[in-house]
Amino acid sequence: MTPTLIECRGLARTYRRGPELITPLDQLDLDVDRGDFLALMGPSGSGKTTLLNLIAGIDRPTGGTLTIGGVEISGLSNGALADWRSAEIGYIFQLYNLVPVLTAYENVELPLLLHKLSRRERHERVATALALVGVADRSSHYPRQLSGGQEQRVAIARAIVTDPAIIVADEPTGDLDRAAAAAVMELLVRLNREMSKTILMVTHDPGCAAHANRTLHLEKGRLVESGLAAAH
Amino acid sequence: MRLLPVSYAVRNLGRSIPRLALSVLGSGLVVLLVLGAGGFVRGMTESLRRAGDGGNVLIMGIGSEESIERSEIPASTASLLQATVPGLRSEGGAAFVSPEVHVQLPIVAGNGSREGRLILVRGVTPAALLVHEQVQIVEGDWPRSGHDEILVGRLANTKLGVPQDALAVGQSVRIDGRDWHISGVLAAPKSLIDAEIWMPLNDLKEATKRETDSCVVATLGEGPEAAELADIQTFCRRRLDLEITSMSESAYYSRLAAFFAPIRVVVWVTAVLIAAGGVLGGLNTMYAAFASRVREIGMLRCLGFRRSAVIVSLVQESCLASATGTLIACAIGVFFLDGLAVQFSMGAFGLRIDAPALLFALSIGLCLGLLGALPPAYRCLKLPIPESLKAV
Repeated sequence: MTPTLIECRGLARTYRRGPELITPLDQLDLDVDRGDFLALMGPSGSGKTTLLNLIAGIDRPTGGTLTIGGVEISGLSNGALADWRSAEIGYIFQLYNLVPVLTAYENVELPLLLHKLSRRERHERVATALALVGVADRSSHYPRQLSGGQEQRVAIARAIVTDPAIIVADEPTGDLDRAAAAAVMELLVRLNREMSKTILMVTHDPGCAAHANRTLHLEKGRLVESGLAAAH
Repeated sequence: MRLLPVSYAVRNLGRSIPRLALSVLGSGLVVLLVLGAGGFVRGMTESLRRAGDGGNVLIMGIGSEESIERSEIPASTASLLQATVPGLRSEGGAAFVSPEVHVQLPIVAGNGSREGRLILVRGVTPAALLVHEQVQIVEGDWPRSGHDEILVGRLANTKLGVPQDALAVGQSVRIDGRDWHISGVLAAPKSLIDAEIWMPLNDLKEATKRETDSCVVATLGEGPEAAELADIQTFCRRRLDLEITSMSESAYYSRLAAFFAPIRVVVWVTAVLIAAGGVLGGLNTMYAAFASRVREIGMLRCLGFRRSAVIVSLVQESCLASATGTLIACAIGVFFLDGLAVQFSMGAFGLRIDAPALLFALSIGLCLGLLGALPPAYRCLKLPIPESLKAV
């Protein structure tokens, strides 16, 4: 099996805002290997989140090709892309995006409802995911009853519960205090090292980026610097 | 397609209690209005339909086919008809032939009331109970001729604008300065007759100083020897001296129902216009409810839930709210609106909240749920996922 999981070739994304043509991503070439932990850095508007969204399959490129696990995802229909996302991608948001009317358990169970699993199988997976992120004792709590760090842990459990190949995280520590941020980063590193999850993370914090294997710097939609993190 | 759990839709209802209350109240009021309009139309139609019996024939003056009250026929018409046309229904020697006088009179009822209100007073003989089988004396006795006694319908108080007990047996009403004592109460369920006053034929003629009748109501017999409508029409054509014509009683009331069709149309149009306002209000509420969840909806799509799955969930949510309002409205309709008396120029009738009216109201409630959810849902879901995730 090829070690390259994600192949971007001449990847571009443009959109129109009134009369102006915006190009957040321009002719980007990038390979990401299986099990890689990649940090995306750059100033606001440099195209980090756009690249993340394209790889997560929630946006479509306007140029180039994007092949993930041998699948050219820009050619998939909306329905097929939704199915692909549910199987291959776990998304961690800066603001957690937990459903406030569902408990931690039910939030984590949500992505599993898209898969053919029995109630018992779902229960086992949810329990495992919650235990893995250390909030098993909060499973019956609603998001409003959790701290920010706990909410993000539940969100991470939701992202990994389907056992996706890729985890994308958009500033996962952006809304957390230092201690909670450190705990979340530690969790992501564990997921990468112990479960071989391929992680792409957008961050503004060099300290967080230092946990990644590789850091990419984007500016005006182009890759300006790529290198291994000092820690690794 | 994998759907979101119904519990998600149910719990979303509880996110904002004021918004839920508004949705339930709005849909409930719209459905109640539609139920009221439906009950009005069905009540009016049914009361006119039930006032006429398919086996009865009306004999009235030529040129008075639009209104019996304008009709005048010789008092001898009933006996001539009976003698000339064989095959009319009779039982135990009593012929089902009822000479009647129909006249709108101002009646003063209730203590302290001075102004009379017009109500249909029917002068009858006991044969009226034979031809109008739906009429029953539910309280008191048949009025004795020459004793200034009357029978009042159960809804007559609505027409007169007085409480029910003002027309109880033993009370009296004033007609043209003369007191008439109530000897009994008649009931003709869901028929216009329910709002009439009946008195002995001769008493009414004497009080109104008339010698003619308004009409004769005759019931056709059954079996091979029975008379037909055509026989009575032949009788009317042959007796040119009487200047009479005939038609089936049901045909007469059908024509009356057709005469009131514009009123029913106006009721429906008014209900539809107000309901449309209710729908717009509901749309506004749902827009607000869904717009506050755009980011969450983006997250659900990001997880892999399809647009259609999210739409189904939003529609479930909206339908649950409107169904609650609809059921409350239907309960109010059944317990408080059904039978509620409404007066109109011909008399009074009860609102009719029956199965078809309820079915219609339920379907309107369902439509409200759908119409209230689809445009706001479309508006939220047309955003690309990255845009949704940026929503505040």
